[in-house]
Amino acid sequence: MKYAMLIYGDDSQWVDLPDEEKAKLRAEEMPRWAALFEELQKADPNVSGHELDARRTAKVVRVRDGERIVTDGPFAETKEVVGGVFLVDLPDLDEAIRLAALVPVAEYGSLEIRPIVE
Amino acid sequence: MQVMALIYSDGERWDALSATEREAIYDRYRAFAKEASDAGVMVGGNELGPTRDATTVRVRGDETLVTDGPYAEVKEALGGYFLFKCDSMDDAVDYAARIPGAEHGAVEVRPVYVDPAEVQL
Repeated sequence: MKYAMLIYGDDSQWVDLPDEEKAKLRAEEMPRWAALFEELQKADPNVSGHELDARRTAKVVRVRDGERIVTDGPFAETKEVVGGVFLVDLPDLDEAIRLAALVPVAEYGSLEIRPIVE
Repeated sequence: MQVMALIYSDGERWDALSATEREAIYDRYRAFAKEASDAGVMVGGNELGPTRDATTVRVRGDETLVTDGPYAEVKEALGGYFLFKCDSMDDAVDYAARIPGAEHGAVEVRPVYVDPAEVQL
């Protein structure tokens, strides 16, 4: 079964940090991400993952009666927004839960697991 | 640049559609995907199962908390996404506006973060 693991986190603290501070924090967490990638690749050699840029880079597009309406900012007004996604083929949901719990963001944000429609 | 187009729509609306109506929408999605692929814009895309099939995982302290259901109960939930390769956000917005879901829901376009120092999958 293919699953999307949606990573929800609050980037409001993070975005205003100076670049060197961001780089430092990323570097601190990186070994855990690397360990996670290794686990994911063991589970599914074809795993893919994407990190999204900060929420302020988002634009929202709607089309109503043929007219295009484009607004700034993410779609959701929630404190935590989707910041990345893994796509991974796994034997069952239990394995997806095990791997989701290894994502560093699970400790301060939330991981949502959704089956993919084939 | 790579841009993700996140499609938010009302799951109840989808549930209420007939099989014929759904097939007509899938046809439009397939046509869009073909057009974007032919233009070299399409990198990938996936439809997510309904939010009632979602599981949410949080780790707090030593505990893993697993709950049924999506991260947030909202009327319009993330239902799928496309990954585009395009020259600018304006191009991404152009393509996003052609996604059928933009006509009743909303499509959020967000650049994929690129950090050359990072481990790449």
